[in-house]
Amino acid sequence: MRFHLAVASLVRHRTRTVLAVLGVAVAAAMLLDMVMLSSGMRESFGTLLESRGFSIRLAPRGTLPFDTEATIAGASAIVDTLSRHPDIATVSPVLGATVHVVAGAPRTTAFAIGVNAEVQGDYEVERGEDALAGDAFVANDEFFRVTGARIGDTITLATGYSPQLRSFGGQRRMVLAGEARFIYLSRGQSAVAIRLATLQAMGGPERSDRASLFMVAVRESAVADSVQRWIEQAVPRVDAISTREALARVDERLAYFRQMALILGGVSLIVGFLLVTTLVTVSVNQRIGEIAVQRAIGVSRSHVVQQILVESLVISLVGAGLGLGLGLVTARWLNGILAAFPGLPRAIDFFLFQPRAAWTALGMLIVSGILAGVYPSWRATSLPIAHTLREEAVA
Amino acid sequence: MATILSLVFALVIQGTPRTIAIDERLAADAGLRVGDRVVVAAEPGAPGDTVTIGAIVARRADPSEIARGEYRVRLHLDHLQRLLGYGDRVDRFAVQTRGREAAERAIDDINDAAFGFRAHRSRDVAVETSQTFRVVSRFHRAIGVITIVASAIFLLCILVLKVDERRRDVAALRLLGISRRTVHGAVVLEAAFIALVGSVVGTGIGALASAAVNGYYQAHYRTPLRFSIVTPDIVVLAAGLSIVLGVVAGSVAALRLVRARPLALLGR
Repeated sequence: MRFHLAVASLVRHRTRTVLAVLGVAVAAAMLLDMVMLSSGMRESFGTLLESRGFSIRLAPRGTLPFDTEATIAGASAIVDTLSRHPDIATVSPVLGATVHVVAGAPRTTAFAIGVNAEVQGDYEVERGEDALAGDAFVANDEFFRVTGARIGDTITLATGYSPQLRSFGGQRRMVLAGEARFIYLSRGQSAVAIRLATLQAMGGPERSDRASLFMVAVRESAVADSVQRWIEQAVPRVDAISTREALARVDERLAYFRQMALILGGVSLIVGFLLVTTLVTVSVNQRIGEIAVQRAIGVSRSHVVQQILVESLVISLVGAGLGLGLGLVTARWLNGILAAFPGLPRAIDFFLFQPRAAWTALGMLIVSGILAGVYPSWRATSLPIAHTLREEAVA
Repeated sequence: MATILSLVFALVIQGTPRTIAIDERLAADAGLRVGDRVVVAAEPGAPGDTVTIGAIVARRADPSEIARGEYRVRLHLDHLQRLLGYGDRVDRFAVQTRGREAAERAIDDINDAAFGFRAHRSRDVAVETSQTFRVVSRFHRAIGVITIVASAIFLLCILVLKVDERRRDVAALRLLGISRRTVHGAVVLEAAFIALVGSVVGTGIGALASAAVNGYYQAHYRTPLRFSIVTPDIVVLAAGLSIVLGVVAGSVAALRLVRARPLALLGR
């Protein structure tokens, strides 16, 4: 009965009901997008960092991994030191460099990582074989696209280009062993992975026994924070960064997006709330005589309140239903725009859909819908019945 | 090159040290002042040079620096080359020319004669390095489109309700013999006035919000960069849009009212 009366009231004024539902839908879409934005980047980045089981990263002191060209000397000694800790399961040293294709394929430049294939956590081989031999390397799809190379081709790679002399520091004829997906690299970035010792040797004395980064996996039973503290004492030349700290630093750098999400999400919620409140208040004002008659024939206050709350909830729920669908579409559009950020890893999403985000948005809209009905309900139930009936009769 | 430079602070009072300039963020965080002596080294733990802080430099309003927490230190070129073992090398030259045509000629001449490097227009370099901000700008525009759609629907809804509230007034005017056209014009004028007043108030709120955004983010990122700017174009767009929407919404709602029978508007 209450539901039918509420729906009848909404149907009676179709135009404004449709407009209110559309308004709530856009507000709900914005709210969902902002809830997704506020947590999506963090969740996505955390998942990416933990995807290969490495929970601690060692970078040159004062820097973030690959934030600068700085490298760490004495890489093999650091690996030995770390490997002695009983809670450390794997240590993967990584050296970054720029390599040039100088023969065997069209000339191009690619980002190279030097790793030990047995313990690396930077890529996943998708075709062919891993770079297990000293003269083998794997490359990503962009490298294959740019060079037109095929697995098994022999290609000469060089590092240490000197623009003054137009010469290279070190060159190697290498076999393209397979195609790999590089987890931390951005879209469109051409990349290869080479044995660490090979890349160090190609870099000459400047790169000898150096690494840009160490990735450390701890055993499941161990506490990453205590291992991190031990590393900082054992190897004071590096910054040991846990996944938690890395996320905190990303949070700090992307605080702008989080705060914008908070502000726009709040504004969306307020707009939706005001819209529903206004509509239901006007609706109650127009039905003031009808409500007075209901009260006069014995309809209880709670019945009237429920009828009005149902009216505001129906608008909110229908709007939210439409808005959540619209929000997913706009989130995809906005994510596509932000995916063009230079250097952003391919696997990172700013707008990550999680059921929790949808439930959060829906929950807020339901609460907002109920609150929106509070004022008109109070107004309807506080009417002086006889006076209102007389006023309506005179009018 | 400068990014691999790290600072080690120590008190050394020997010889006549060279001078460096540090940015105000580093000065504030490390409690340094002009005249203080520090040791700079290329790597942590490596022996470095004792230098005197000769100047504290204000940070530029450069968008590329806002998300980076790093400090900036300026050294004399030969000093930095020696400290890093960089030899007689530089990363780049900045060349000032006399006007645009001179710049074009200089670029062509340098690229024809240069061995081992290329000359680029500053404008091209800026375009190449501003990709991040172009992405952010596109994102802001997209958010702006969504906001405009939401605002338009909100405005339409409010004005439809507002006009709908005037049912009895309109009925009374029509029963008194006032023409449909006059009633319609009066309602539209009222809607336009409401939209205009709303636009003026909204512009004020926007200006205050913009000042708050600038105040907060300038303090947060410690930069003189202005994050939000209210330009006349933006005010004209926002006010124009709301007035047009107000007039359209008012007109549509008024047409519905004046076409109805006056007694029907009174519920009879």
